[in-house]
Amino acid sequence: MVDSILALATQHLDWLSSRQAVVARNVANANTPGYVAQDVQPFSALVADGGDHTGFSLSTTHPGHIAVDPTADLNTRSVVGSAWEITHSGNAVTLEQEMIKASDIHRSYSLDTAITRAFHQMLNMAAK
Amino acid sequence: MIDPLQAALTVAGSGLQAQSARIRIVSENIANAQSTGATPGSDPYMRKTITFSSELDKASGVPVVQVREIGFDTSAFPVVQDPGNPAADINGAVKMPNVNILTEVADMREANHSYEADLQVSQQARQLISMTIDLLRNSS
Repeated sequence: MVDSILALATQHLDWLSSRQAVVARNVANANTPGYVAQDVQPFSALVADGGDHTGFSLSTTHPGHIAVDPTADLNTRSVVGSAWEITHSGNAVTLEQEMIKASDIHRSYSLDTAITRAFHQMLNMAAK
Repeated sequence: MIDPLQAALTVAGSGLQAQSARIRIVSENIANAQSTGATPGSDPYMRKTITFSSELDKASGVPVVQVREIGFDTSAFPVVQDPGNPAADINGAVKMPNVNILTEVADMREANHSYEADLQVSQQARQLISMTIDLLRNSS
C-alpha cells in the first residue's frame, strides 16, 4: 500500500518535471515565429490504463513497448486549441498561461514531496 | 536524455540568451537612431531585426531557442532637409535611419517581459530540484 503510494508520488513527480521542462520550452519560445505552445499528456491518462495491478504504470499495448518511466521521452503533444491567443507571426504562447501552469506545477510538486516525506516518516516509525 | 528539470534550466537559459541578444539589437538601433551616412547622398544606418527559432541542442538533446537571423529592415528612409549635414545631397536632403524609437522601446519592453518569464521558470526549476533534495534531508 505504502509502496504503491510512493511509486505513484514518484511517477507524478517525474511527470511534473517533464511538464516543467515543456513549460520552460514554451516560455523560451515566447517570441519564436510559428511556435505553438505544447503540453504533456494529462497524468490521469498515464495512470488510468496501467497494465499491472496497481493501476499506476504505463500500459504496453505492443510487444515493442518497454514499460519504463512514462515521461522519460518527454512525450508532448501540441495543443493549438487551448492557446489563449495566436499572434500575427503564428506564435501561440501566452506567458500568463505558462505562468499559471508553472505555479500549478510548483503546488503539486510541493504536495508530492510532502506526501513522500510523510510516508517516509511513517515507514521509519514502523521500522524503529 | 538529461533530467527534465535540468532540461528546463537549459531551455530557460537559452531563452535568456536569446532575449539578451534581442535587447542588444534594440540598443544598437536606438544608439544609431541619428546615424546618417558619411558621404553626400549615402545611405544611413539601417534598422536591424532579429528572429528566433527552436532548434535541437546536439550536446544535451534539448530543443533550445536560438537566434535564427539578424536581418535588416528594408523600409524606406525618412528624408529631412539639412543642407549643412555632411550626408546631404545636392538638394540638401539627408536620409535618416529608419529607426522609430517608439517601436524600439515597445520591443524592449516585450523582450524584458519574456526575459522575466524565463527567469521565473528557471528559478522555479531550481526550487523543484531543492525540494527533491530536501526529501533526503528530513527522512533520516
